[in-house]
Amino acid sequence: MLFAYLMRCTGDYYLSSDIVQESFTRYLDSYGDGTNSAALLFQIARNALYDVRRKKHRTLVLAEDSEYKVGNPEHHMMVRDEYRRVLSAMRQLGQEERDILSLVVSSGLPYQEIARIAGTSEANVKVRVHRARVKIKKIMNKGDI
Amino acid sequence: MKDDLISSYIDDELSLDEKIHFVETVHEKTSFKTTTVDLLNQEKWIRGDVTYRVPSVILKKKRWFAVALWRPVGIFTAGLVTALLLIFLVVPEQDKVMLTNHRFVLYQPDVSRVEISGSFLGWEAVPMKKSGTSGYWEVVLQVPAGEHRLCYILEGSRRIADPTIPIREKDDFGGENSILAINMNT
Repeated sequence: MLFAYLMRCTGDYYLSSDIVQESFTRYLDSYGDGTNSAALLFQIARNALYDVRRKKHRTLVLAEDSEYKVGNPEHHMMVRDEYRRVLSAMRQLGQEERDILSLVVSSGLPYQEIARIAGTSEANVKVRVHRARVKIKKIMNKGDI
Repeated sequence: MKDDLISSYIDDELSLDEKIHFVETVHEKTSFKTTTVDLLNQEKWIRGDVTYRVPSVILKKKRWFAVALWRPVGIFTAGLVTALLLIFLVVPEQDKVMLTNHRFVLYQPDVSRVEISGSFLGWEAVPMKKSGTSGYWEVVLQVPAGEHRLCYILEGSRRIADPTIPIREKDDFGGENSILAINMNT
């Protein structure tokens, strides 16, 4: 699911919401002729997210480790209590690992499609997604979140 | 066995051979089995609902129509600009108007004023300059390549053809115009 993917990538409810809106708009603008491709939609969303990161219009919570942890109460309330610990662990992953893991668990797309979206090989996706899971396991076991 | 097969198992990416290998390893290696179960349990958390509420998406139909309308206009405009650029940047190199300096000379010793007029001047009368006391009048004008009609105007009213150019044609006023060909072979 697109919104969940962006939430897992950014941890920012409002930024994710904006990018979902923008992604659907771009998708319909460019492929509104009956094309129905989840991979394409995720690709557009990922590009939009990278655009935002490049332009630095907004500070990404996960990258900066500030807003989410210190506490924007309204923002904090949007994330389920049970999920906060997972998001905190994901925040400690590298951007690429977090991106791949978020794509895999959110989109339901096969590795082959994920590789195409991420511009890498299927073998690389396989390795990176597993590395991300193992890292999260270690982070959670350490209990430093 | 490569540990990343655990993730391939979680994500349903194993081939049949890999599945056989995976199951055998789970049975043989306790640590592998433990890691697999831990990651499966962790996956339940990772794949859980992130938020209480998913924001709704408002489809901006207006923008879609705007794009649908403007896209062909944009394509047409881009095509037009490209065509104009080609016309102004490429074609002029080939079809550039070639101007030739042509010296017009007329022997008229008994008049005080001579002008030249022609199709290449838009039939404007251009004064000619008297060349000393020789009786000759002359002017040098830039003339584009092609065929042109011309005549001389004496004393501001009498029109005569160029006596040195044999090809002539009648004009609409009972007079004659000379036909001058400039660089017609280029």
